Formats: sequence, structure tokens, C-alpha cells
Amino acid sequence: MPSSCPECGSSNVVEDDLYSQRQWVCVDCGSVVSEGHLTTTVSDETQGRAVPYHASTEVLKKPCRNLIAGFSRVRALCRILRLSSDMESAVVSLFERAYNHPNFIFVTLTKKEILGGCCVLSVCRQCNWPVAMGTIGYLLGVDNATLGTVYREFTKALNIEISTIGIMDMLESFCYDFKLGPQQVEEVFAEPPQRLVDRTSALIELAADAWIVTGRQPLPLLFAAVYLAWQSLNPTVRMKYTFVKFCKIGKAPEQSWHRSRDSVVKRLKELRDVLCKLGRELPWLRGGTVEPNTVVPLVDDILKNHRALLLRAVRNYEQQLQNESQTAQTTECDNELSDSNRSESHSSTTPELMDPDQAGCENPADKQATDCQLPPDHWSKRHLFLPPCVKNRKRQRVDAPQLEVTGDEEISDSEIESYIRSQDEIEMYLKVQKELKKMA
Amino acid sequence: MEQNNSLTPFPPGLASPQGAMTPVLPIFSPMMPYGTGLTPQPVQNTNSLSLLEEQQRQQQQQQQQQAAASQQQSGMVGGSGQTPQLYHSQVSTTTALPGNTPLYTTPLTPMTPITPATPASESSGIVPQLQNIVSTVNLGCKLDLKTIALRARNAEYNPKRFAAVIMRIREPRTTALIFSSGKMVCTGAKSEEQSRLAARKYARVVQKLGFPAKFLDFKIQNMVGSCDVKFPIRLEGLVLTHQQFSSYEPELFPGLIYRMIKPRIVLLIFVSGKVVLTGAKVRGEIYEAFENIYPILKGFRKTT
Repeated sequence: MPSSCPECGSSNVVEDDLYSQRQWVCVDCGSVVSEGHLTTTVSDETQGRAVPYHASTEVLKKPCRNLIAGFSRVRALCRILRLSSDMESAVVSLFERAYNHPNFIFVTLTKKEILGGCCVLSVCRQCNWPVAMGTIGYLLGVDNATLGTVYREFTKALNIEISTIGIMDMLESFCYDFKLGPQQVEEVFAEPPQRLVDRTSALIELAADAWIVTGRQPLPLLFAAVYLAWQSLNPTVRMKYTFVKFCKIGKAPEQSWHRSRDSVVKRLKELRDVLCKLGRELPWLRGGTVEPNTVVPLVDDILKNHRALLLRAVRNYEQQLQNESQTAQTTECDNELSDSNRSESHSSTTPELMDPDQAGCENPADKQATDCQLPPDHWSKRHLFLPPCVKNRKRQRVDAPQLEVTGDEEISDSEIESYIRSQDEIEMYLKVQKELKKMA
Repeated sequence: MEQNNSLTPFPPGLASPQGAMTPVLPIFSPMMPYGTGLTPQPVQNTNSLSLLEEQQRQQQQQQQQQAAASQQQSGMVGGSGQTPQLYHSQVSTTTALPGNTPLYTTPLTPMTPITPATPASESSGIVPQLQNIVSTVNLGCKLDLKTIALRARNAEYNPKRFAAVIMRIREPRTTALIFSSGKMVCTGAKSEEQSRLAARKYARVVQKLGFPAKFLDFKIQNMVGSCDVKFPIRLEGLVLTHQQFSSYEPELFPGLIYRMIKPRIVLLIFVSGKVVLTGAKVRGEIYEAFENIYPILKGFRKTT
């Protein structure tokens, strides 16, 4: 620091900066004695630290490109599903939260797109707006399993409570999706949506009572139920149209039903079987046969009286079981003529106490499922309506006999030796490996 | 900690009653009440009763001797406050062998379970069968996986796919993952004893291959059980009433996932009435979880 002014010789020199430039000025004569650098040098700049992207103003002014694309995709989804503007804004804010969450900021773009779908699904569930995962899946072009894994991660990461929706909630919007108004299709095919909804919900309630609904994918079942409902509302004309034809008439988007066509066929078969079981109980048929392919005209009557028919069917079935157990036991009594058997036959009249020694007690209605290998005394034979996974089990699981060990036994050397290669084997193995490497 | 090969550790000072060791085993045998499918009774085996009385007598003798002699008492008496794992909810486990248990000074009635025994009429009469046990053990030395894969017949090693040797033995039918750090995972056994025996066999194989393998810190990490309640279950009803524990997404998985808090077990409940229980560290947790869920499931049994 200079101590004396060269102009006037005074020693009164002070530091007085001019803007960002350091200057030493003489107080007495006002001359600039010396000054510092105005600009930064290269060495200063390299030593200084650059401002990272996320701390600059760029982040606030222009958010990530993928996030913007995600927003537009999510809004498009909301518009397709016709969500209200409140729900749409909720979805967008949830998506922003999810996108910036540390678990999801670095994932692939496909996963980010699925994340958008999960946000839509989550908000719909919270607002009780019934949307199936399958619908979102086919809108995004992914299968349920992938969507499911991302959805589970998402709910865990953001601590969102999952609420389940039932099949009945999805029913109304599903039925309204079919374009069967009088202006859109021919007179014979047209059906006011409300009538379709009523008939389909009655069919689904019946299916739920008969254990077809629980544990199954809801969409194939909904398709099957709507198809049967549509047929039954005008059976004379519509009986000849297949399911695929019906979807084309109702202009259901092919992507939504195409993949699950096989499941739909299976559900149709199950529904028709249930309707047959009930149709047989109709008193005015006087015990005539009811076949699955001709049961549709009876659907109207069946649904009107379904409670009474269910009770009758179950009661008749139990009666049948009782009769069979009694006849089986009376033949045993004839053969053996022992008192103990006779007392057994009197006491075991209710099906619950069926004697496990009876062989061949088969339900006549199940004779069709002859490839079912359940033992005759299996608990499922007592019920008329059962989940199909129980009735159609092809193979009984046999538990392997338990090893009785203590965990501390002696281990024989010979057993351990059997797991170790001999020297010859090792040499052969190495030789073969060398040969293979040479060939490759 | 003592290294354990085939002998369970005894607390120092207690004479090793060889005669008393063997009667313990019937309690833990899989063929006891839980295997027969009968109503699970509290363990009323006279063998175990006599064993515990004997142990009590011995301990009292020991304590009398030691009280007169030294002050090492504190280490032993300190253990008396522990609740014996042996009687946790009427079930016994091999991990709580008498080597570590009862040093009680209080005259506890040996057969009183910690949780009150449910009367026979209320219990389900169904016993879950164990299907899989996962356990880990530390062999205590670094291993050369290439050598093991070369010299063992039952081993596969593909370092590009997974960084461990996969070894299998026939009896008990199990699979082991052996890592180069010396740690091993053993899966596929159907009981705790089988898992321990299998792990010991793998350790013996590794020993015979020339490594100084030991058998440290054997621990059961997970147990899976399954059973059948023999009636169909309304899953939709169950998820409505037990919302905070259940998760039912028919579009993703046909079963209901029930996360029980106490004991901390996850149950997969299916419409056919089959139930899978997993996440247990001891057998008793599986039984307890099933006894907890059975009355709930009965409430959703609906015959048409």
C-alpha cells in the first residue's frame, strides 16, 4: 500500500474504491496514486466455482422438458376419461410431486409415463370415480402387471392410502361406453343405457352370489355380463350374434377387449352354467332340460325370481346329497348288518357329517367335470355353488412325508463324498472346457 | 460366542445332563400335535415336564453351591428374569433349546403358556403346514467360488448372472447360495431342524473341499406356511371391514394381502379358502397368526 503521494508528497493516502476497482487516492491533491484490476483474471475465474444448474434461475423459469411432456400427457389422459377440472388439477400436482420424488426422478421415460397413469388412477380412486386399471393400462399401452408394480411403488413412496373399488362401481361407466343408442345402431340392436345397466347389475349380483366374481379380473366379467344382458333384452333377434360381433356393433374399442377374449369366453360359460342351474328350478318348466346355449330367453324370469330360485336350488341339492348318502349307507347296512352302521345312518343325515368312507358319492350336476380329480369326500361336494378354482382342480397337492430330524445328527462321510467330484472327473471336465474354448 | 457344530451350548456351570437332552426333542418333533391335525393342546408331554423339574432341581442345587462359593452368581441370576421362549403361545421352537433357557428361581408352573390357551371348542382344529424355511449361516472364512464350482458335483456358478455358487443336496431337499464372503443362505427345507441339518451338510461339503469352514450364527430368517380353511371366502367383504390391514386388487392378484400387526405376518387369502402365511421367524408366529385370522374368515363364510 503506497504511503506517499508522488504529486504533492503528502502521506495522507486512503483507499477509496471507484465502483469495483480498488484505488488509492491522495486526500490533499486528489490524484490517484495506484489502482487495482477492474476485471477478473483467468486464474481468478478458474479458481471460482460454477453455479450448478439446479441453483440457477433456469430451473424456475424453465422446468425439465420431460416434466412438461408428462404434464401434457397426463392432461390428455384426464380429458379422455372426462375427469372434472378439480380432479385434473389434483392429478397434475400429484404428478409433479411424484416426478420430483427421489425414487422416480431417475427412472426411464416409459416408467415416468406409467407414473402419470398411476397418478390418474390414484386421484380417481380417492374421488370415488371408478376407473379400472385395465382401462388405464390399455390407454398407456402397458399390461396390468407392469402398471401394478409401478402403482405399488408409487403408493409406498408417496404414502398414499389405497382404496379398493368394487366391480359394481365400474359397471355404470362401462355400460355407457357402449354406443347402443337408437341413433347409433339399428332398432333391433338399440338399448337405452339405463336398461342395460340394470340388467347387467342384476346379472353381476347373481354371479357374485355364485362365486364367479371374487378373485377374478373385473373387465372380462363385465364384458361377458353386458353381452348376456344385451342378448337377454331381445333374445329372439340377438341370440345369433357372437360376442365379437356384439363388440363391433357397440363400437367397443378393440384394444380393450381383444386381449381378454379368452377370459370373456370362459366367464360366459360360467355365467351360463349358473343360469342353467337356476333355470332348472323354474316351476313352469316342469323339470324340462335347460341347456347353456338356450338359457338366454329365460334370463328375464330367472333374474326376477333369483332369490327364490337360489334357495330352491340349494335345498334340492342338499336333499339330493342326503338321499345319496342314505342309499349308500343302506346298501352298506344290507351287506354288513351291524348295529353300529345302522346307528350311523340315522345320525348322519345332515350333509356336514358325511361319512368319509363313502366312495363314489358324486353330484350328478358335476358329472360333466369328469377330469376333476378331487377325492369323493372333499368338502367342495357339499356346496352347489363354489368358486371355479375349487371345483375344477385337476391335481391334488400331495404333501411330501415329513422327515423326522433333530438338526444335530451325525452326517455320514459317504453322503458328503457323493457330492464331491473325483480327480478324474475334474481332469475330464477341464479337458472338455479347454476343447470348447478352442472351438469357440 | 461358542462355535457350534453339533452340540448345543450349555450355560457354564450346569452339568451336561446327557440323559435330559434327548427327552427334549419330542417336543420339537414335527410329528407332535401340530402334525396330526388335531386340536393343538398346550404341550403336556410328561417327558418335558420331568426335564424341567429336573433342571429346576439342578439349578437350585447349583445356586446353593455357588451362593456359598463365589460371586459369579450375578451372571446366572441375571438370566432368570428372561421369559422362557419355550412357552410362547403354546408352541415350542428349536431355536430356544434348553441350553439358553430357563434359569428361573420362581417356581413357575412349567406348562402355563404365556398366552392363555384357547379352549378346544374355539380353536380351529386346522394346523398350518410349513412349506419353506429360509436360513442363513456364516461359514467364517473367505471362499474361492471357482474352486467350489469345479470340485463339487452339485454346484452351479455363473458369475455373469449371479455372484454366488448355487448348491443343492438331496436329503433334505434344499438349495444353498454360497457367497465368496463365506456367508450362506439355505432355502427349501420344511422344518427348522431340516434347515439346520441341511446347512450343516453344506458346511461339511465346503469343509471337505479344503476350506476351514465353521458354523457360526445359524439363524432362521423366514418361514412360510399354508393351510386350507375348507370354505370359500368373500374377499370383497373382508377388504371393506379390515381396510387398514388388507389390500385386494383383483386386477393385479387374485388373492387378498392381509398384513397382520401382531404377530407381524403377511397372509395371502384366496377365495378358495387357502391361506398362505409368511414372514415368520418362529413357528409359533404362523400358528398364532392363523388362530387370529380364522374367526375373521369364519365371519365371511357365506353359503348360498
